[in-house]
Amino acid sequence: MAEKLDKHILKNGMVVLGEPMETVASAAFGFMLPAGAALLPTGCCGAGSVIADWIFRGAGDKNSRQLSDALDGLGLHRASSVSSSHITIGAVMEADNLTEALDLYADVILEGKLEEEQFELAKQLAIDEVLALDDDPRQKVMLKLKEQFYPPPWGRSTIGEIEELKTLTAEKTRQIIKDNFNLSQTILAVAGKYDFNTICRQMEDLFETDPLVHHNPAERRAARDTGQRTTKADKYTHLNNDGAQVHIALCTETVKPTDEDYYNARVAVSVLSGGMSARLFTEVREKRGLCYAIAARYHSLKYAASIMCYAGTTPEKGQETFDVITEQFNRLGEGISKEEIERAKVGLKASLILQSESSSSRAGGIGNDYYMLGRVRSLDEIKSKIEQTSVDSVLSFLRNNKFKDFTVVTIGPKEIKRKKKKATEATENTEKDK
Amino acid sequence: MEFKKITLANGLVVIGEINKSAKSAAMGFFVKTGSRDETRQINGVSHFLEHMLFKGTENRSAFEVNEAFDRTGAQFNAFTSEENTVFYAAVLPEYFVEVTELWIELMRPALRDEDFNIEKAVIKEEIAMYKDLPSFDVMDRCRSLYFDGHPCGNSVLGSEESINNLTAEQMRDYFAKRYAPNNMVLACAGNFDWEQICSIAENSCSRWQKQTAERKLEKSPDSQKKRRVEKPNLVREHICLMSPAVSAQDQRRFAASLLGTIVGDDVGSRFFWELVDKALAETATMHFAAMDGTGAFCSYIRCSNEDMSGVLDIIRSVFRSLSESGITEDELKKAKNKTLSALVIKNELPIGRLTDLGFNWIYSQQHRSITDDIDAIKAVTVDDICSLIERLNPGKFTQFSIGPA
Repeated sequence: MAEKLDKHILKNGMVVLGEPMETVASAAFGFMLPAGAALLPTGCCGAGSVIADWIFRGAGDKNSRQLSDALDGLGLHRASSVSSSHITIGAVMEADNLTEALDLYADVILEGKLEEEQFELAKQLAIDEVLALDDDPRQKVMLKLKEQFYPPPWGRSTIGEIEELKTLTAEKTRQIIKDNFNLSQTILAVAGKYDFNTICRQMEDLFETDPLVHHNPAERRAARDTGQRTTKADKYTHLNNDGAQVHIALCTETVKPTDEDYYNARVAVSVLSGGMSARLFTEVREKRGLCYAIAARYHSLKYAASIMCYAGTTPEKGQETFDVITEQFNRLGEGISKEEIERAKVGLKASLILQSESSSSRAGGIGNDYYMLGRVRSLDEIKSKIEQTSVDSVLSFLRNNKFKDFTVVTIGPKEIKRKKKKATEATENTEKDK
Repeated sequence: MEFKKITLANGLVVIGEINKSAKSAAMGFFVKTGSRDETRQINGVSHFLEHMLFKGTENRSAFEVNEAFDRTGAQFNAFTSEENTVFYAAVLPEYFVEVTELWIELMRPALRDEDFNIEKAVIKEEIAMYKDLPSFDVMDRCRSLYFDGHPCGNSVLGSEESINNLTAEQMRDYFAKRYAPNNMVLACAGNFDWEQICSIAENSCSRWQKQTAERKLEKSPDSQKKRRVEKPNLVREHICLMSPAVSAQDQRRFAASLLGTIVGDDVGSRFFWELVDKALAETATMHFAAMDGTGAFCSYIRCSNEDMSGVLDIIRSVFRSLSESGITEDELKKAKNKTLSALVIKNELPIGRLTDLGFNWIYSQQHRSITDDIDAIKAVTVDDICSLIERLNPGKFTQFSIGPA
């Protein structure tokens, strides 16, 4: 959604994107490395978390402490994340420090020390993070939902699995880094105040001489696997936990960002859960007082997309909450008023523009667009596509794409019951947890 | 950026910082009331009242309020702390007047019994939700242990019991006393028309009645008590530590904030190197919480139950080394760089600028430009921080932990 987009492709295929922002004094960047959870070898779930930590424990001529001191000395606010497709490492800072920061990050990517002793610490922290998930049922229920809904390997936990982390070795992880830090599929996205020429020359110097260009079949393999499985799992999983609430997560399949109905889907989700006058908030919270937290959102990976919903409620209200939510999903296609569509459209357009003021949110946005679509959409294009949607187009989309199946996960003291459609279609799965 | 201010006859202060190059504008009502202004009987009323303001006025139902906000595409919400309740919106400039008028209208809510009863269920759900978030729960309980009966230790949410017993009448009384124009500030930041906002405020807010709305600022204790609670469904140990710091009005707050970063920033701090880097705790942070007339350092540490006593030994040794050897120039320089860049980045967005603008006025009745804050941070010396450590002795902390049986 850039207003102006800078783009340069290095000889090795690495893509450098930039969105200049006139009114800011900051710059943000993110290197999207094709080493997300779905692209890692089987049996290594959680290696992404270990890698995102390990690579910062010393690089180039600096040990762990010196590297961290150098980054802090630039006043960097670091952000690392692991998604199903990428490990993204980046930062936001005052623009004057961008060049030095990029130098240090190039060291992290190309010249990590990757010492054995540091590996064990990074691995222990990754294991502890997985253990700590049990104390955060709200996050856990969404991870579990993605795992149940998206076909393997795309649904894999981005945090990790304890048993697989325990068997991970430094040698194996070094190999994963070597195979997956593939520059030909790496995207660097920068936004804010910068000079694009300077960045391009710097990236050429840092990355074009590196031999790390090789064929990495991981993404193609993962995509092929997806083609063999479908996401339409009508499935219920319950995890027992003696907490205060039952945490309900559900999702259903929808169109991907490349689909011509993408904007109809986004507007439909906004009618369901865009603002406080949207249907879920009104019916579940305002009219019935069933929940404090209730929201649905559009979620997409490159090869599949869904509408995901979360609600947390006390156990005795769990059933009614679930029933009202699914009823609202199912009734959406029956009719939508013109006012609802207008509010949804205004909300989507306003949030686009409000986000466009933040350099870190823009760097993330253009990188993600490029990965998903192979290009970056302009702000005007998105606005105009949202503008083109109407009551008729959204309803016709909903009628042609009925919410047939829901994947449901609950964590809490009490299960919910689903209305059975046909006995053969649904599967029930109760895991005992703690 | 240009600063503007007017005060209405009834005491309502309207302030604005205009930035015509921004793509959006943000506004908020900062009401100087929170859980520390409550008695035990009505604990939770400030936060409950914050919810009730969305429930409409004599002329507008709750749904009509939500519709009106959503028609503007505003990002709007509210939050309540121990001492403030803030209602805000960020919006495109063309909707700024509409959203400001809407919030002005909502500041005189209907507080209907039927809305009160439905919302009570939502509040109880929110209380239940936070019970399932031990990282929040432990901070809440530690604050109460630290303040040891002082109102600053009151829970923002209240308890299920206090919320069950609360009546709409008690809430209306509290509203009448605390939501007086002389106990709140209307702040605006970003791309908006100042003259227009002034005339709207004068026309619509002048009839609000001035009240005596005071806050008792008696000295708050720090109990230094230690307590642990077991919860069988938990896996990790969640630890909160609190010790005294300076207040939001104290000039030394900039030094206190830098000390928080040196000791407990999430990366590169003393806690980080001693605990997180060594994989003894997956999280170990400390920050400075400035309050009205008081202040505290708050730490949160998450680790395994088996490692807890070793982790606490290390924390004590971190504080001991601070007392004995102070901090280095290099540590201070890094902390300043991180703090300064965070300040610049936050203030690039009108919604980020709004919070500093509003809180500076609430606490000190003064406007501080971003440059004022940058200069104050740059001026802090190693000696300033060392004398703060000597005076405050952060090693003498109150400790609360929640963990598995």
